[in-house]
Amino acid sequence: MSEIILENVVKRYGNVAVIDGLNLTMEDNEFTVLVGPSGCGKSTTLRMIAGLETVTSGEIYIGGKPVSHLEPKDRDIAMVFQDYALYPHMNVAKNMSFALRLARQSKTEIDKRVKKVAEMLGIEPLLARKPAQLSGGQRQRVAMGRALVRDSGTFLFDEPLSNLDAKLRAQMRAELALMRQRLEKNMVYVTHDQVEAMTLGDRIVVMHQGIIQQQGTAEELYKKPVNKFVAGFLGSPPMNFFDGILGESEGQLMVSGDGFTLPLPDEVKARIQARSEKAVTVGIRPSAFLLSPASGRQVQLELPIILSEYIGSQSVIVSNLGGQQILIEVGSDTPLTANEVLSFAIDPESIYLFDAEAEVAL
Amino acid sequence: MKEYSKTNTAVFYLILICLSLMSLGPIVLMLLTSLKLKVDIFNEVSTFIFMPTLKNYSSVLHDPSLMRYLGNSLYVGLISTLLTLVMGCMAAYAIVRFRFMGRDAVSLTTLLMRMIPPAVLTVPVFAIWTFQYQLGNNLHGLILVYVAINLPFVIWILQSFIEQVPIQLEEAARVDGANPFQVFFLVVLPVIKPGLAAAAIFTFRIAWNEFILALVLTNRATRTTPVHISLFLTEHNIDWGQIMAMGMLIAIPPIIFTFVASKQIITGMTAGAVKG
Repeated sequence: MSEIILENVVKRYGNVAVIDGLNLTMEDNEFTVLVGPSGCGKSTTLRMIAGLETVTSGEIYIGGKPVSHLEPKDRDIAMVFQDYALYPHMNVAKNMSFALRLARQSKTEIDKRVKKVAEMLGIEPLLARKPAQLSGGQRQRVAMGRALVRDSGTFLFDEPLSNLDAKLRAQMRAELALMRQRLEKNMVYVTHDQVEAMTLGDRIVVMHQGIIQQQGTAEELYKKPVNKFVAGFLGSPPMNFFDGILGESEGQLMVSGDGFTLPLPDEVKARIQARSEKAVTVGIRPSAFLLSPASGRQVQLELPIILSEYIGSQSVIVSNLGGQQILIEVGSDTPLTANEVLSFAIDPESIYLFDAEAEVAL
Repeated sequence: MKEYSKTNTAVFYLILICLSLMSLGPIVLMLLTSLKLKVDIFNEVSTFIFMPTLKNYSSVLHDPSLMRYLGNSLYVGLISTLLTLVMGCMAAYAIVRFRFMGRDAVSLTTLLMRMIPPAVLTVPVFAIWTFQYQLGNNLHGLILVYVAINLPFVIWILQSFIEQVPIQLEEAARVDGANPFQVFFLVVLPVIKPGLAAAAIFTFRIAWNEFILALVLTNRATRTTPVHISLFLTEHNIDWGQIMAMGMLIAIPPIIFTFVASKQIITGMTAGAVKG
């Protein structure tokens, strides 16, 4: 019902196009996450949907209705801001009921809805307090509550968790995911944190330089990135990239570079045989380095440990391949000593290839 | 380190004591004089040792015209403060938040106007008010001048307060369904209450104490208290006792006003609005 469609949306500041011809459809009741590095235009996109920024050209439809000329209040949206934006002179209850009071709802109705949402978020004991008397996490909840009380068709979140400490962020993220299950609402969520994006989003939209790089489920994006940017952006620690040259030996397609020669799976061969260009970028995720003897078509690589970082269930090894620093993820129960050389197996299936120039996936 | 900070504190308090003496001295002198009989005032030995009397207060308070002049002063002070604040906050908001041509020029020239001393205005204002608009001898004419004099400074102070209001608050209000007026009156104004209070104290005190313009723009019926006091200086007699008693009395309303208004000046009004 309240499906959001962005059609050829352009946003220009002077001569600089921040958003350049954005087309995006967000289905009804879908949790869409816009994710990307700072300055990629994700917040601007959200603010255009909210009506806080004008659209230079193109049109935004909410529930089939063109809204780009409408004021925020006429778009049936509720928004949670990054810095909470609570009204400092009102107590929590007044903050939450502000929109309802503006809409001249009856007092009993307002009280009922505020109470219901406060119960849901566990902020009932705080209703009489002013924002200054709340902790960061509590303010975040109140900001969320203020949006929920509205019962709008669409919820917009502008990096709502980025000001919280790590523990609280994980907790709020889980609560958001729960809330998302309970509410049948359209939600658009902006974040630069790929973990939030991957855990929360039904549809993840990766943006870079004002352009959508790829959209899909977390799994699609992680397993089949369309280009080098998406591959490098999702996943932590990030994917390792090497320059490589395609070649063939004994009928087997190989990619070789400084310090390595790796065989490629047969289906890749069919896909890229037509290419005349031999230079490629090879991508290998840190988790694709296996600490086991090579079996079958796997290839063995001898890599030195320069540094190892213990991060709990995993250890990240900083190593060196062909003069280039790489990251390797292994189980933390593996004993690691600096300067030791370990033998890793790499499965040809877990190798990603990108065009060296255009950076698109091959 | 500790020694150092001890001497530091001592010096600090010494300076504070000197400053308090400087500002309290005249008031103490005024209080003492207002409690003296005329013989004691001109007697050099009895600066601090004398027989206090309330005679001066009694004669000032029994002057039937005093209430009228106090009323005039209050009326002029309160109305001009109210008008200045209403216009000032709107002008300041426009200068801070709206993009229009010549915005910086407007902001700067507003403050430049403040640099004209009121005394310079006396003659032209008298001529224009009296001969062109028949506003002479009229309290509203006086209110008009005071609003004009105070407005630039009030706009200037409120500008800096409005700049500190996080723009997200206004955006949140817009998303919550507020129209531009509701954003201004329900969100921005309550947040800048400390600024409004400071501006109000400032405006009220200028309007209350102003003498020169009040002298030329009022008559027997519309006089304000500072003008009234000056009439105790006559060619026959200077009644210092009554002048000082009157001075003590008319200092009371601004003090009350300041205390009431400064209750609103609570630091950290915007604390908790954003981040934390």
